[in-house]
Amino acid sequence: MDLEDDTTVLTTLKSFNSFISRPEHPQRLSDHSAGSGNLQSQYKRSMELLEAAEQVYSKNRYLQLDQEKKQMEMSHKRARFELEKAASDSARDLEHEIDRNQELLGRIKKLEERETEAAKNLSEQVEANRALRKNLEGLNKKLEERDSRLNTANQTVSSLKDEIRELKQKIQNKDSTISTQTLENQELQEQLDLQRRKYQEVSQVCQNLQAAQSSCSEHIIKIKELERRLALQEQDIAIVKTVKSEVARVPDLEKELKRLRDDNAFLRESRENCSLLKEEVEGLRRKLERMEKTKEELVNMELDKERLAEKLQAWENLGQSTGLNIRKPEDLSREVIQIQQREIALKEQNYTLNSRVRSVERSQTELRAELSQQRSKTLEEQKKRESQDALVRRLQKRVLLLTKERDGMRAILESYDSELAPTEYSPQLSKRLREAEDVLQKTQNHNAEMEAQLTKAQEETGTLRLQLQTVELELDSLKKQQASAADSSSLATKEEVSILRQKIEDLEAERQRLEEQNNVLEMRLERHNLQGDYDPVKTRVLHLKMNPTAVAKQQRQQEVEALREEVTHLRELVRSLQDGGSLVHSQDDSSMHSSSLGLSLPPSKEILDLRKQMESSELRNQRLKEVFQRKIQEFRTVCYVLTGYQIDITTENQYRLTSVYAEHMDDSLLFKKGSNGSMQLMETEFSKTLGEMVALHLHHQKSIPAFLSAVTLDLFSRQTTI
Amino acid sequence: MTSTLKGITLKGSAELVAEFFSFGINSILYQRGIYPPETFTRVTHYDMSLQLTTDPKLKNYLTNVVSQLKEWLFECTVQKLVLVITCLETNEVLERWQFDIECDKSAKESSAPREKSIKTIQDEIRSVIRQITATVTFLPLLETPCAFDLLVYTDKDLVVPDKWEESGPQIIDQSEEVRLRSFTTSIHKVNSMVAYKRTDSV
Repeated sequence: MDLEDDTTVLTTLKSFNSFISRPEHPQRLSDHSAGSGNLQSQYKRSMELLEAAEQVYSKNRYLQLDQEKKQMEMSHKRARFELEKAASDSARDLEHEIDRNQELLGRIKKLEERETEAAKNLSEQVEANRALRKNLEGLNKKLEERDSRLNTANQTVSSLKDEIRELKQKIQNKDSTISTQTLENQELQEQLDLQRRKYQEVSQVCQNLQAAQSSCSEHIIKIKELERRLALQEQDIAIVKTVKSEVARVPDLEKELKRLRDDNAFLRESRENCSLLKEEVEGLRRKLERMEKTKEELVNMELDKERLAEKLQAWENLGQSTGLNIRKPEDLSREVIQIQQREIALKEQNYTLNSRVRSVERSQTELRAELSQQRSKTLEEQKKRESQDALVRRLQKRVLLLTKERDGMRAILESYDSELAPTEYSPQLSKRLREAEDVLQKTQNHNAEMEAQLTKAQEETGTLRLQLQTVELELDSLKKQQASAADSSSLATKEEVSILRQKIEDLEAERQRLEEQNNVLEMRLERHNLQGDYDPVKTRVLHLKMNPTAVAKQQRQQEVEALREEVTHLRELVRSLQDGGSLVHSQDDSSMHSSSLGLSLPPSKEILDLRKQMESSELRNQRLKEVFQRKIQEFRTVCYVLTGYQIDITTENQYRLTSVYAEHMDDSLLFKKGSNGSMQLMETEFSKTLGEMVALHLHHQKSIPAFLSAVTLDLFSRQTTI
Repeated sequence: MTSTLKGITLKGSAELVAEFFSFGINSILYQRGIYPPETFTRVTHYDMSLQLTTDPKLKNYLTNVVSQLKEWLFECTVQKLVLVITCLETNEVLERWQFDIECDKSAKESSAPREKSIKTIQDEIRSVIRQITATVTFLPLLETPCAFDLLVYTDKDLVVPDKWEESGPQIIDQSEEVRLRSFTTSIHKVNSMVAYKRTDSV
């Protein structure tokens, strides 16, 4: 509502302004155009206008004020509303505040109560304080007393410490003196060792001396021997003199020797001859024996000959008796051959006969078959004949019947002829008659034919019978022949045949066996051939003389020989060395001396020299060792005194450090040298107690000297504080 | 190889066979390790690579034997050529490579060349040498130092030349034999075989 009012005010203001600004122009126009004539009206009008404007303005002013008033009222209302609201809020707050106030009041009361309690406590405390102060004072007094006592004790302690220090110094001095004494002791021991060695050397020398003495005694023996030899030589000289005298006789003796040699040669020859002769004799004896044997044989032969002559005679007799001219075995053999040939011929005949018999038998069987056929044929023929006979008989009967009929017919005809006139019936009758005659004739013809057939068949059977008879005869003859043939040779031939068959079988078997054997032998031959066998009759095996195998074998043999030589050489060497090295070879070297030293009784010069050299070198070594030991000992003591640690090498790359101030003898530190040269602390019973220092100096600072000095200080302080 | 391509003469055949022996012996020596392998060089022949020795002593020996063998082949008086491998420690014969040679002696009279091309003969020879190479698979290993010798079986009526001497057949005690291929030049027929000592393990 307020805004709308404002807008209306603004619009009116605008319209008013526009109104004011507009009339200026017409005024000017009027000034110019109308002039002063209209001035009055104009003035009135303007006055009116002004009044109107004032009215409008007032109206506006009124409206505006009204508006303002409305606004004021509105704001007033609002303010009041707000005030009311604030009043209610403050009332609420007030209530809150009152509540709080009450609460606070409660609290204050509580606090007051507490205060009173505290005051009470305070008073109690103050009392207690007073009591404590009293106590404190008492204690202070006691303390003072104690302080005084402590001072006295401290004084005594300091005095004692001084004493301890002195004592320690004394101990140190003592220690140092002990160490020096131990050193002296070691030195003395070394000296003792030296002395001992010297003693050993001396004893060795003694031994050598003894050996030398023994050698001396040997030498003396030798000398004696030599003297003996000398005596012998003198004797020899005497002998030589006698010999010289004998030598004068030598040429004679030589001559004699020559002669004897000749004799000897001659005798040798004769001995050879003798041996030859002996051999000859032997040969002759053998010959003789052989001759005797031959003689005996001859006698035997003669006996044989006689026997044979008798036999021959018998043969001849046989020949004469048999009529064959058998004079010699040849004849006999000829005869036998002839017989054999004959036999063969007979055999052949036999074979031919056999074959003939077989053929005959075959033909016989054929003929028998034929015969049976023929018989059957004849039987058939007989049957035929019989049937034909029967037929013939029937026909004859018929013929008889017909003739009778004909006779009857003829009689009838004659009766007719006689009864009737021949003219009436004659042609008819004659006709019939003729017919009948024809029939008759036919039958007769047939009959004749049949008879002819019959005769023919009979003839045939006759011929067949003849044939049969001939065949039978033949058969008989054949049978006879066969029988005779079988009788003559069958027995012999059969036996022979069986023998021959057996022989053939045997031969066949043998042939197979031989074939098998042949195969086996061929296979064996093949195998041998494969293995490289050969026929020495036809073949020879050659190879080059200088073939690789021979060369290799030769080389091998040479090697073996060389090795053998070397072995024998070496063996000799060894033996000579074992014998005492009296024969010193040029190849002897120093390494062999040591082995032969123990065995050699009289040592050679070289060996002695070498021994001396060795001894001197050993002595030098020993001295160096002593010096080194001394120096090392010195160094160790210095290290011990300066650093406060005794360093020992327990095993390879392990060092044991023992402090001067160690509480126990076993308290030590172990260090191990690593592969890269770094030192590492090993765990010991003692090092376990130094955990802190290990952590600080080794793990943190990584300095072994610092660690060691820390340990020293610690141990030192521990010793001094006690 | 003096013969023409069409056929082969006695002389050509002898040379061909001698050449085969030269290569065959070389390859046996190489395969069986009688001589160290570094003393051999590779050579191509018969369309295959072969090993030839460079050891001067061995070379000299082989040329000696082969030239003599060629002569005998030409005369048709050779029956066998045997390569014997002997153990040096025990003098025992371990292997025997035998080449039986069958000579057609009629070729001596008639000089007409035979109808067989060199190429087919060389093919046959190649297969024989291949087989020799393959035998290494079944022959026992030669564990000890060994040496070899060449024996020639000839006719009895032959005059023994200088430097040559008679020898034994060097037969292996308890041997196993294996026949290899053969080849023929139609004048000389060569049957190869190897015999080796039976080992206890077999």
